[in-house]
Amino acid sequence: MNITRREWALAAACWAEVARAQTNQSNLFAWFNPADAAEIKAIACQIIPDDNTPGADAADVILFIDRSLAGFDQDKQDLYQHGLAETEAKRAELFPGSTSIASLPDSQKITLLKAIEKTDFFQQVRLHTILGFFGQPMGSKFLGVQHQMHFEPPFGYYDAEAPK
Amino acid sequence: MSMVQFRPADAVDFIVVGIGAAGGVMAKELSTAGFRVVALEQGPWRHEKDFKHDEVGVMFRAGLTNNPKKQVNTFRKTPADPAVQQQAVEYGCMVGGGSVHFTTNYWRFHPEDFRERSVQGAVPGADLRDWPLTYEDLEPYYTKAEWDLGISGLGGSNPFDGPRSKPYPLPPMPVKSSGVLFERGAKKLGLHPFPAPLAIISQQYKGRPACVHCGYCEAFGCEVGAKSSTLAAAVPAAVKTGRCEIRPNSYVRKIEAGKDGKVTGVIYFDPDGREVFQRAKAVVVCANGSETPRLLLMSKSNAFPEGLGNTHGNVGKYLMFDSGGFAFGLFDHPLNEYKSVVATRVLHDYYRSDPKRGFYGGGGIDSRMDYYPAGFALAGMPLDWPQWGSEWKRDLAQYYTHMSGTLAHASCLAVEQNSISLDDKVKDAWGLPALRVTFKNHPDDLKVADFLMERQKEILLAAGAKKVWADQTTLGEITYSRHLMGSCRMGDDPKISVVNRWNRVHDVPNLFLVDGSSLVTCARQQPTATIQALAYRLAHNLQKRGASL
Repeated sequence: MNITRREWALAAACWAEVARAQTNQSNLFAWFNPADAAEIKAIACQIIPDDNTPGADAADVILFIDRSLAGFDQDKQDLYQHGLAETEAKRAELFPGSTSIASLPDSQKITLLKAIEKTDFFQQVRLHTILGFFGQPMGSKFLGVQHQMHFEPPFGYYDAEAPK
Repeated sequence: MSMVQFRPADAVDFIVVGIGAAGGVMAKELSTAGFRVVALEQGPWRHEKDFKHDEVGVMFRAGLTNNPKKQVNTFRKTPADPAVQQQAVEYGCMVGGGSVHFTTNYWRFHPEDFRERSVQGAVPGADLRDWPLTYEDLEPYYTKAEWDLGISGLGGSNPFDGPRSKPYPLPPMPVKSSGVLFERGAKKLGLHPFPAPLAIISQQYKGRPACVHCGYCEAFGCEVGAKSSTLAAAVPAAVKTGRCEIRPNSYVRKIEAGKDGKVTGVIYFDPDGREVFQRAKAVVVCANGSETPRLLLMSKSNAFPEGLGNTHGNVGKYLMFDSGGFAFGLFDHPLNEYKSVVATRVLHDYYRSDPKRGFYGGGGIDSRMDYYPAGFALAGMPLDWPQWGSEWKRDLAQYYTHMSGTLAHASCLAVEQNSISLDDKVKDAWGLPALRVTFKNHPDDLKVADFLMERQKEILLAAGAKKVWADQTTLGEITYSRHLMGSCRMGDDPKISVVNRWNRVHDVPNLFLVDGSSLVTCARQQPTATIQALAYRLAHNLQKRGASL
């Protein structure tokens, strides 16, 4: 594979941004404010929980969502803003006295998300969460995928049944 | 490799618009025959090193396809409905076009597909017609395509196929567990499964390396050049002739016509957004079943006030989409379907229309579980199950490697009001009228898809699946398609068709169309072999007779 100088420069810049994001918490997000990010992260972590295996938190899905909204999915910014506002209103209605989605106990988070799971907002957060987790090796490895560029038969258990 | 460069003011012999399955073949065949060719492609010219296993970028961010945020389209079910902005068509947007990202099923149409109207009779509410050519007319060009591009398969293994003049050049791909189980189930039911003919080379062929079974075929570009796309198998030869210039990132907005009714060249936006007028003695449009009619409709002139080829108002009409649903089955042991090519077994037992069923149509069925990880998490589990949370997550991991599936490729009837037209309100990123799709399935399309779904489940159950379910999202009326067929029908009568039996526009002597748009019927989908056979046939006849077909 030939890698040009420009590609190296781009790759280096990209990794530099990730490293900066990981070390400099005040500049973590390109589009979210930290408070909204904490709320969206709380939703993403119910969609793909970090239970006995890694989930949305371990995969830093919130950063993927943030970069998506700052880039390819800029047209989804309004959906996030309005959807989050409506979800916060629903939270206040279901759990009077609560202050944020992130601070709800898990059982109440699930109740809240079941109440909004048919909305465009939830479906969009679900899509972004899935892409951020399963679109990279942590997610595909979780499904049992071996990462190789080259496989040879037999590929699966039943291949052996084929007539030779 | 250096490439010839032509000046826009010098009239080349042919301009090819769109370098996809057909355009790549035209560029190669015409330049090899000695013609000077400028081939224009709206997408970029990528190479094997540019392709990546990036599901998010390719599948969810239009990495290799038309970008609905730039190539805007609108959709409505009927002309009475308002057209709303939503993606309804998807096509490969790069040098090689759809042949780069297709799954590679390479089925020939059956002899009866070319004369179904005569055999089956008229279908109320549709316009089923015979083709003006026969399977026998096209057979040499199917063979030419298979041998020129490199197709793997087992000739004679499908008892429903038409006669072949030669076997496939390459043996079939190794069977996967999904194919083994499909064959097990189908044979128990007395059916006739056969090795899938695929546009992927199972052995080294013409200097290209054999498939490495990496598993990223459908929707992706092949990183080793083993997929027999025109990018890998035709464009390099075209450039090598020294008579073909490939111009990527070139977006054609109009075909110009003179007062004498002949086309004189095309106007396109170059990569810097500047308008260029390239002159030519003849133009071949291969821009797919949606963009080809759109370009003709945008090419209005004094001689052709309704657009090129549209004297009788037929351009854009009789659009056909790909129908057919997915059925899935869960098995005891791992299949690991993420490895290697998508489909390794097919059956055509339900292909032929049977009046006893009470509706027109039929379909082919292939073995496949072609979800990539994120797509699977998004939509792979039964819809009546949880779709997020711990339980869902646990099930995903249990199912992904243990699932098999089948996909039906079903007939879709040609209906006059199903069409491509120009949107009168919405514009694309170049300020041109957005592509407007009007599409509503004929009722028989839905009946045949439901019928096939029951057959698909039977096969999976007979194979020993412990749980079988239909992907409900792939049944019912469709509003989105990757197979874009019809829209500039072929026929002998200029009043009811757009191109003649030689793929020449009826009333324009030096304008040719070859892609999905000229298909009279869609047979049972999988149109690439037929599109490419038509391209080889057109190129051969242009070589024999010059541009006077």
